Amino acid sequence: MKKLFVFLAILFLVSNAWAQEPSVDEIVAKANSSSYYQGKDGLAKVNMVVTDAQGRTRQRQLTILKLNIKDGADQKYYVYFHKPNDVKGMSYIVWKHSGKDDDRWLYLPAMDLVRRIAASDKRSSFAGTTFLYEDISGRSIDLDAHELLSSEPGFYTVKNTPKDAAPVEFFFYTVKIDKNNFIPMKAEYFDKTGKLYRIIEALEVEDIQGYPTITKMKATDLNSNSSTVTEFSDIKYDVNLNEDIFTERFLRTPPQQWLKE
Amino acid sequence: MKRALFLTAVIIALAVSSANAFELPEWHGFVEQSFGVRLSQDDLTKHSGYNLLEQRVQLKTRYAIPGVNMLSRWNGVFNFKGDFVLDEYFQTTGSYDVRDLNLAFSPASILDIKVGRQVLTWGTGDYIFINDLFPKDYVSFYIGREDEYLKKPSDALRLSLYPKEVNIDFVLIPYFTPNTMPDGDRVSFFDSFQGGITGRDTDNNAVKPALQAKNMQYALRLYRTFGSTEGAFYYFNGFDPSPRSYLDEQNHQLFYERLDAYGASVRGPFMGGIGNVEMGYLHSRQDAEGDNRLIENSMLKWLLGYEKDLGNDLKVGAQYLFEQKLNYSEYKAALLSSDYFWDEYRHVLTQRITKLYKNQTVMLGLFNFWSPSDKDGYLRLSAAYDISDQWKLTVGFNLPWGEDDNTDFGMMKKNKNAFMRVRYSF
Repeated sequence: MKKLFVFLAILFLVSNAWAQEPSVDEIVAKANSSSYYQGKDGLAKVNMVVTDAQGRTRQRQLTILKLNIKDGADQKYYVYFHKPNDVKGMSYIVWKHSGKDDDRWLYLPAMDLVRRIAASDKRSSFAGTTFLYEDISGRSIDLDAHELLSSEPGFYTVKNTPKDAAPVEFFFYTVKIDKNNFIPMKAEYFDKTGKLYRIIEALEVEDIQGYPTITKMKATDLNSNSSTVTEFSDIKYDVNLNEDIFTERFLRTPPQQWLKE
Repeated sequence: MKRALFLTAVIIALAVSSANAFELPEWHGFVEQSFGVRLSQDDLTKHSGYNLLEQRVQLKTRYAIPGVNMLSRWNGVFNFKGDFVLDEYFQTTGSYDVRDLNLAFSPASILDIKVGRQVLTWGTGDYIFINDLFPKDYVSFYIGREDEYLKKPSDALRLSLYPKEVNIDFVLIPYFTPNTMPDGDRVSFFDSFQGGITGRDTDNNAVKPALQAKNMQYALRLYRTFGSTEGAFYYFNGFDPSPRSYLDEQNHQLFYERLDAYGASVRGPFMGGIGNVEMGYLHSRQDAEGDNRLIENSMLKWLLGYEKDLGNDLKVGAQYLFEQKLNYSEYKAALLSSDYFWDEYRHVLTQRITKLYKNQTVMLGLFNFWSPSDKDGYLRLSAAYDISDQWKLTVGFNLPWGEDDNTDFGMMKKNKNAFMRVRYSF
């Protein structure tokens, strides 16, 4: 009887300790939410500088508007290109869906053409940078199996292995997540041979309207020896974006009030 | 042209005069040198060795109307885009081509208005237009100018209404702009008056509809989305933008017959890609019975399209176009024995392959038209390299071919070219 009591006491202590440590699924869900779903909507000016192996640079400047439709799942994005000059004025809409392909439209003002974009490959480069589409709009957490590798002071490290390896170029990736705010600070991608070939890291995190937000991040492709640094500025959350903005009307007539240079 | 220059001066003056109080508008654009060499000599045209040699400067600006006034409250924006072209093919002293000169504003939450010169496009086809009967420049298309120049601007009033249930576009075009079609000087074509492929020897002329209230063109589109699928209805009341009918055979005069078009389209996700279906009934009002041999008959057109992303920046697309000349027996019965005649049915298949390399800075593209019924086709190949954010180099081939001389692509067979464009954007 005494033994049983001790056993129960230990069980209680242990389970209590477990309760303090969230499950890996909770960690991943929180990290996903803090990186892509802050606020009910938001916007930012984005400046991307791509540096190739020879040190030559290219610049991309855009404004991104974002509206959360369903937390952790469906979202709508509006992207307006400011630079480079040959794509200035182009606009782009993404209706991100969980569980099926996103809907994407591109507007080419020179031809007044609204083009529907077939885009099932989310592992392709975003606007010619080292970032991929999935880095910008998020990768559905249901696509990977998650495993908590370590829980050090300050950080969790989670290993993510794709459930279906066919559509992705990585074998697995690990993400180091800040325990305080669940911001993913560093993601490392490994190929079949176990070689690290791709790194995404948060360089600066700021508090914006109470939401911890990455304001500077870097993607490095170790194979091509190229990298892209992205800086977010003029970040605003909860500005009451109208869902109508994410339609053909505003592709053709960019929403002035949100796109000030 | 004088009018265009004057209006440009007015805009610049407006922009500069308000500069003290407000920010100067930003000017952007490019400088481009293009050259297109013929792959086979064509003595029919002005220059037998090449068909494109020009320098082009494009300037554009977008100017949000500042201050506290009605237009700024309505989010008024002034758009200007104009090209200055030194066309060495014709050894001109330079010409001015205003592509955008319009004012866009939203006087009500469900209404957008755009008035002035503007490019207009709708429909779902890829280089195939059924319900988009706005003017095109097919000479630019065949000699290797940038895609932008396939579309010609219209002087128009566009009203866009956005009530809850459906979006409505209404376009009023007071002044008719025809398609730019091969006229023999630069690009040889089939001239039925000359009885074959003709260049500078052509003496045909196309008579434009007079500038009159009854000749105003209008176009309507109703569209909305159903989940991820887009549906649209189209209506057009105007003139065929290509001169397909005969006004005066003796004097080799053609004209643009009246055209009413009714159409519909659906576009959306399909089998892991994007599928589209578009149809149009093109009613030839001046030859409704189809028994006038001089006037184009009514047509029925169907288009099926599909595009898929295969991953690794590789995209493929395919289309099938079906065209039927209606009242064909009446048409055939009315023909004279000396007339050229066209088949009842035309089938066209297209294929598109686009592949990007080097972080999307290198693009290889193929677009192929092939008509098994006309036994002709047109292969377009291009390679583009974004050398930097400013410099872009494009090279390509235009390869039309055909067994006969009077089919759409077959008549272009002497115009095969290889082209190169170097562009600096600012």
